[in-house]
This record gives sequence, C-alpha cells and structure tokens, in this order.
Amino acid sequence: MWLKLIGSILVFLVSSYIGFQMASRCQARPRHLRQIISCLGSLRSYIIYAYLPLHEAVSRCTNGIDGPVTVFFQNVATMLEKEALLTPEEIIKRVLSEMQGILMLKSPEIEVLHVLGGNLGVMNSKEQEKYISLVIEQLERFENEATRLRDLNTKMYRYLGICGGMAIVIILI
Amino acid sequence: MTVTNILSESILEKYIYPVLPVRLVTMIRAVPAAILANLTEIRLRINRPLLLVLGNTDIIVNPMGRVITKYDEAYLCNQDDVHKTLQLISKNSLYAFEQELKMGFLTIDGGHRIGLAGQAIVEAGDVKALKNISSLNIRLAREVIGCADKIMPYIMTLEGHVLNTLIISPPRCGKTTILRDMIRQISTGSRLYKGLQVGVVDERSEIAACKNGISTVDLGVRTDVLDSCPKAIGMLMLIRSMSPAVVATDELGRAEDIYAVREALNAGVSVLTTVHGNEINELLHRPYVGELLEHKYFQRYIVLSDVPRVGTVEKIIDSKNNEILWDKTSK
Repeated sequence: MWLKLIGSILVFLVSSYIGFQMASRCQARPRHLRQIISCLGSLRSYIIYAYLPLHEAVSRCTNGIDGPVTVFFQNVATMLEKEALLTPEEIIKRVLSEMQGILMLKSPEIEVLHVLGGNLGVMNSKEQEKYISLVIEQLERFENEATRLRDLNTKMYRYLGICGGMAIVIILI
Repeated sequence: MTVTNILSESILEKYIYPVLPVRLVTMIRAVPAAILANLTEIRLRINRPLLLVLGNTDIIVNPMGRVITKYDEAYLCNQDDVHKTLQLISKNSLYAFEQELKMGFLTIDGGHRIGLAGQAIVEAGDVKALKNISSLNIRLAREVIGCADKIMPYIMTLEGHVLNTLIISPPRCGKTTILRDMIRQISTGSRLYKGLQVGVVDERSEIAACKNGISTVDLGVRTDVLDSCPKAIGMLMLIRSMSPAVVATDELGRAEDIYAVREALNAGVSVLTTVHGNEINELLHRPYVGELLEHKYFQRYIVLSDVPRVGTVEKIIDSKNNEILWDKTSK
C-alpha cells in the first residue's frame, strides 16, 4: 500500500515537473528573442555612432541583460577577439551549436542569426545599420509569434503535466 | 644577434605577424634575422610575388621562405592572403575603418601604416570606398630615439623657443620618425633648453601610434595627442583647448591644412610639420604649400633623403636668408 502511494506521488511529481519544464521553455523563447533584439539594438548603436570594433561592440551590447543571451554574445565577442581568422558567421554558428538547448531558439531564428553573422563587419556602417535593422524586424516577428504561443501553451503544458500525472496514477491504482 | 635585429623581430612578432596569415608568417620567419633587421615594407599583391622591401632594395622568397632571385620560383600571393590579412587587420570590422579606407590606408597598433589599392567606388566625384582590394603595403614604423639629435640645435633658439620647421622628404625617408623624435626632445627638454608643451595632431595615428587614445611611443612628458583627428580641425582645437607652445602634425597638403597652419602661426604657436617632396623649389610651385613657402611662414626647412640610408638629413635651410645651415656633402 505504502509502496503504491509513494510510486503514485513520484509519477505525479515527475509528470508535473515535465509539464512545468515545457511551460518554462515556452516562456523562455520570447524572453530570449526579446533580449537578443535588445542586444542587436545596442550593437547597431555601437557600430554606427561609436565605430567600435566588432568584438568590442558585441561585448558591450549585453549591458543590463543576463542569462544565456549574455553568455552567447560574450562568447561570440571573445572568439571574435581571439580567433581573428574565423569569420563572424563561423563564430556565431560555432557558439550557437555549443549553446544548443540553453538558448531557446528555433531553426528559423537560428538561420536569421547565421545570416546576420555572414554580413556583420563586412560593409560600411550605413549598410550595417540597414542589415541589423532588417534582422531585428525579422526577430520581432518571431518574438510576436513566440509570445502568442507562450500565452496559448504555458497553461496548457502545466495542466497537461498535472492532469497527465493524475491520470497515470488513477490508471495504475 | 644585434640590437637592431632584436628590435625588428620584436616589431614583427608584436605587431606585424598578428595581422598576417599563418602561411606568410612562416615564410617571413624563415628569412634570416640579419635581412629582416633592414625590413621596411612587406608588399602583398594578388598573383604577384611576396615582396620584402629593405630600404632601397627588395627581395622575394619561395614558399619555404628562402630568399631567391628567380620570379618563377617565388611565392605568389593569392586572394586569400590579401583577404585574410584585411580580416586580421580590421578584426572583422571594416566599417570601423570607413574613413581610413576612403583615404587608402589603415594604421595598426604600433603606428604601422598599411596602404591599400583596389577598385575605388566614386560618388559625386569623391571616393566613397575601396572594393576588390588587390594590393597591400605594410610599412614598418620604427621609433629611433635620438635620430633628431643633429637637427635640434638648428630649430631651437637661445631663448628656448622652437622655430617653425617644415620637414621635406619623399615617401619612406623617415619624416615621421624624425618628427616623432623632435617632439620627444622638445617636450622632454634638455640641459640647454626647458621642455615645452607640445600638441600633436595625429590624423593617421602614425606619430603617436595611439591605442585607445594613449600613445604607445615615447613623445616626452609634455605632449598631448589628438588622435585620428583631421589636421585642420585638430590644430585649432588643440590651440584653443590645450594652449601648446608647439603644434606638430604630419603631411600637409590640403587647403584647410594650410589655413590651420597659418592660424597657428598667427596665434604665436610654433609649428612642426612635414610635406612630401624632394626640393624646396619643387614645393614652391605646388598649390597651398607653395603659399606658405612663398610667405616664409616656416623658419627652417629640413630636407631628408634615403641615400645612403633612410632618415639621412640632406640639408637644413634657414628660410629667411635662404642660407644652408647644414649640408650632407659639406659635413
């Protein structure tokens, strides 16, 4: 009897945990996208107004932001400075693959960041401004979509976790 | 190993190798140190041999870095070499060098200038940018402490003032190196004269070799540097803000530079500057600079050449009496 009770509690807790984890991933994606957009906005300013070298601009653009997005930009900045023979595109690809599962981004967003890397630093500041603005616009669209999905799915995942757990417990008992 | 060898090697290791692709670094490293001691330029041209310029002469190397004479055995630079070098120089930030690219050169740490040639993009008669860059010329800047020793007595008055001085020389004859040492000596002072406040307008970051606005070479204890600022604006800014006794700048040429020099001289500030040229007579016919010479704004002309070696003082001339105060041939 006790064994059954403990087992049921464990099943319920695990199922709820999975539900809450899914919900938290759902919440993280728009947050990460929002933070990336904010960092890109700062990066654009550092490039256009301060003419800072790319590694310095990328390193400074995370001011006021923390979490995985900061780690991403800081890692990119460090590699830009230390591995000058790599292009920004190669560096962004490498850092993104290292941070898979930490940054809650989907493949269209990752693609946009790859393309951003391909155009960073190679043109004059006016073109850089245009290009970063375009990337920000695209990411804003993804963010709106991610926010809509978050509102739709967060509660659903939580309830699904709890209710799924309860259902398994009932079936097993 | 001599002091010059060690000096050249340290310049190459510290400033030049970090901006060259590994393949080129390996080749240059294989060249004997005694040859590298005289290295003044490294020239990269797409599909042409890698040239190492040693003062008045140049050498080519094979892919193993051995010095050779036959062009068909020479290592030919490719597009990747030039692109990778540009990438390393700009640290993937070409936009940050927009202004420099328009003028056809970049300056790296240590004050070493890198000249560029390629295809110009022209808009409304002005060069907007350079694309398809096909040639690079890496010019090694050397700090030679004391190279202006023999010039100093001719440009200082007994009262300790600096005479307005124009250094005249063709490219690669050591103008900037001598100007840098003059600034250092004027700023520091000696037992014969006291140090003076010197303002340096370093438009191309070559004189002071600034990194993050701080000079990386010895310019004396009383020197203020305005880095990467156009000469004309910078000279007037320094006069208003830092009240220098001497203003130094490099390579006069444009109409606004001449106006600024005139303003500085009228404000009672001494001016040390340089101009490209071979002879004074040749400069007299040149627009803008010719005016300054005609009206004798400068009191001393120092003519340099690279014979027998870079930085040779040919003549020191007193402009007032047109008298040659010092001549290489009659020393």
